[in-house]
Amino acid sequence: MTEEEDSSAKMSEDVKRYLKLDPRSSSAATSEPPCSSSSSSSASALANKSRNFKSFEPPCPDHVLENVLENVLQFLTSRCDRNAVSLVCRSWWRVEAQTRFEVFIGNCYSLSPVRLTHRFTRVRSLVLKGKPRFADFNLMPRNWGAQFAPWVAATAKAYPWLEKVHLKRMFVTDDDLALLAESFPGFKDLTLVCCEGFGTSGIAVVANKCRQLKVLDLLESEVTDDEVDWLSCFPAGETHLESLSFDCVESPISFNALEELVVRSPFLKKLRTNRFVSLEELHRLMVRAPQLTSLGTGSFSPDNVLQGEQEPDYAAAFRACKSISCLSGFRDLTPEYLPAISPVCANLTSLNFSYANISPDMLKPIIRNCHNIRVFWALDSICDEGLQAVAATCKELRELRVFPFDPREDSEGPISGVGLQAISEGCRKLESILYFCQRMTNGAVTAMSENCPQLTVFRLCIMGRHRPDHVTGKPMDDGFGAIVKNCKKLTRLAVSGLLTDEAFSYIGEYGKLIRTLSVAFAGNSDRALRYVLEGCPKLQKLEIRDSPFGDVGLRSGMHRYCNMRFVWLSSCVLSRGGCREVAHALPNVVVEVFGSDDDDDDDTVTGDYVETLYLYRSLDGPRKDAPKFVTIL
Amino acid sequence: MEGCPRNREIGPKLFDLIPQGRKWYQEDKNNIDQEKKLELRLGPPGGDEEDRSAMKKKNNNYTETRNIKMESEDKSFQGFNSNHFSSSNKTSQKRTAPGPVVGWPPVRSFRKNLASTSSSKLGNESSHGGQINKSNDDGEKQVEPKREGMFVKINMDGVPIGRKVDLNAYNSYEQLSFAVDKLFRGLLAAQRESSGSEGEEKPIIGLLDGKGEFTLTYEDNEGDKMLVGDVPWQMFVSSVKRLRVIKSSEISSALTFGCSSKQEKMRH
Repeated sequence: MTEEEDSSAKMSEDVKRYLKLDPRSSSAATSEPPCSSSSSSSASALANKSRNFKSFEPPCPDHVLENVLENVLQFLTSRCDRNAVSLVCRSWWRVEAQTRFEVFIGNCYSLSPVRLTHRFTRVRSLVLKGKPRFADFNLMPRNWGAQFAPWVAATAKAYPWLEKVHLKRMFVTDDDLALLAESFPGFKDLTLVCCEGFGTSGIAVVANKCRQLKVLDLLESEVTDDEVDWLSCFPAGETHLESLSFDCVESPISFNALEELVVRSPFLKKLRTNRFVSLEELHRLMVRAPQLTSLGTGSFSPDNVLQGEQEPDYAAAFRACKSISCLSGFRDLTPEYLPAISPVCANLTSLNFSYANISPDMLKPIIRNCHNIRVFWALDSICDEGLQAVAATCKELRELRVFPFDPREDSEGPISGVGLQAISEGCRKLESILYFCQRMTNGAVTAMSENCPQLTVFRLCIMGRHRPDHVTGKPMDDGFGAIVKNCKKLTRLAVSGLLTDEAFSYIGEYGKLIRTLSVAFAGNSDRALRYVLEGCPKLQKLEIRDSPFGDVGLRSGMHRYCNMRFVWLSSCVLSRGGCREVAHALPNVVVEVFGSDDDDDDDTVTGDYVETLYLYRSLDGPRKDAPKFVTIL
Repeated sequence: MEGCPRNREIGPKLFDLIPQGRKWYQEDKNNIDQEKKLELRLGPPGGDEEDRSAMKKKNNNYTETRNIKMESEDKSFQGFNSNHFSSSNKTSQKRTAPGPVVGWPPVRSFRKNLASTSSSKLGNESSHGGQINKSNDDGEKQVEPKREGMFVKINMDGVPIGRKVDLNAYNSYEQLSFAVDKLFRGLLAAQRESSGSEGEEKPIIGLLDGKGEFTLTYEDNEGDKMLVGDVPWQMFVSSVKRLRVIKSSEISSALTFGCSSKQEKMRH
């Protein structure tokens, strides 16, 4: 591998000379795709070369081939295709590496930043994912890792023309953001999803220094309030902003700064404000930016309730925004004002009510007009009745998410299999569903499997642990079995309720395309885990909690852990010995064990019982930044 | 599926599962209790009483046939030592709801406090009828914003697996003591069974007064180990870092030699 890297480094010098790809010149022409600038400059580069160099060497055939290949590869954007190309032979590997501008890293610990910068030399866009999903639910101690710092440090040196950084579940500090803002003069797109570790001061630096910024999206991230007016930090004059999302920022903002920013951002299409923006303020923003396509409405509640003519005409503002196709926010909804959105309903493709306590009667007049909706998120306050209304109108629905208003196990639960079945009958094009409920039946789940053959994502969370079918009392095996049997395109599945090993035998046998599987409080024995690990040929991400799976089950997956992104098992029945066995057998897999606290110093760490196992493949071995409470076997 | 518990000819394995004299069948009025007991699952002992009571009403027809199904099909039960995860539901009386579990249901924290934030914005309920009203139902608990469970670890002498309790779920030492009993009773019995002595489940009582076999102690934020019960409840909750259930006979040594026992464990 190192020999290859040496020769590739040498070869890339040759290629650079003949193709004359100058990072600075191509970043100046930022509106053009990078490849076109390279092909146009290569001809002139060759001409220059012949004039400037005394000892001119004609391009050797290999380099010509690579030149051609490079021009062909610019049409390949999918990373799966590019991965395939890179496996053909060494020269293809090299050329692919030089022409890959967008790099996706699904697990930041699967390789070191150095490896990234050595292989790919011209990266403009980096997508990095850190912690596994269960970290969102307090199952992982703080300070576990996934720091952005080493990545920003490495890329700052290697890719001065980096334009886009998209991070998910990473720990990002203000210093990291500052380094980012200073290192990349052409930086355009910062998207932070489920991240933490930074505050409004970090955002302020990005706003201020990234003069080419088009996208600043903070989604579901934890942003500390440093009491910095970051909106005022955007430079004066016209901005390039196209998307600004800060609905997760839980601190007040300077509205005047926001309004002024919107006024001087003619390209702004997406604006998602936080709950500190009142309805009156929203109105002003909408008047200033009628070109918006996506609007996060903030609180949707007026500061002052004025009467009659004094009150702004909210419906008129919505009417004027003819291009709005995506609405969200409603963080503190005052019900009387909801009808104001009616003028845009017919054009909506995406509607997010998941922060609003909306009753069926409030929903029905709105949803009746939303014929084009493809994505709908709501709280279960809409009840089965509301779901029936959705089913009656939203024939184009592709994605539905229903969250619990009261997320406790023993709460009443206003939705059930009735709503699920109604949706399945009305929304035949459904592809993705996330449904939280207190009670469910196999019948409803089976109906959905039969009515919605396009399903790729099925995530059902019956909140009471081990709850059976509430009508028949049977386990939910048959329902989930029907899903995997009938939904042939299924790639993501989350199960819940009372499930025996049989359910997992169905999943293993029929879940041919499943890449992600989430299991909690399910199964009877190791057989269940074996069914999954010996079946499900495409399984990449397996996350399991509180299920009776032990070393035998873990062992049954040894043949495939190298081909998976990660496996998470917490509060199961694993022993240290069993985990160590896997670690010793698979040197390319990192096996981490830890408890759920960061101060573990007793039995749960030194004893035999393993509280959490997190294993993942890695090219560069165990990480060096593991905190004390994490043991790498 | 033929047969019923009385038919011993189904297979020798049934002998293992059904104690002589069908004592379990007569004593336990709720068959689903028993099925739950045989079922292998994780969760604090005493969990899911609600499921059972709900199922009780609807499923009496299914119980017998289902019991047989479980017993004859569940071969894995033979091999699996049910030490750790047997349920302790001998009694059919309804207990308090199962204790909260970390990270369940899997809803991110910013979605959790909607009940408290929107209760102030109900508007006119009659004209927008049907909105969920949380402000009156549960009194204090719902109104407090951002109130997540306060989980502290609890270990018990003789039980290798530690657990966690949510101290915010209780208001008094008695409730805590009861919860500890619920958590560990089954595990302790299972441990004793595996080490040869009688595995009958005994309630864990007398945790607070020194009269029981076990006593509840805790470690506070300064690292001191103390007996539970001396300070007012709120003061205790604000200073406790972890709990430990120790044998009453070892009270003095556990409290004085806390540090050395820690060091002993570190050498692993």
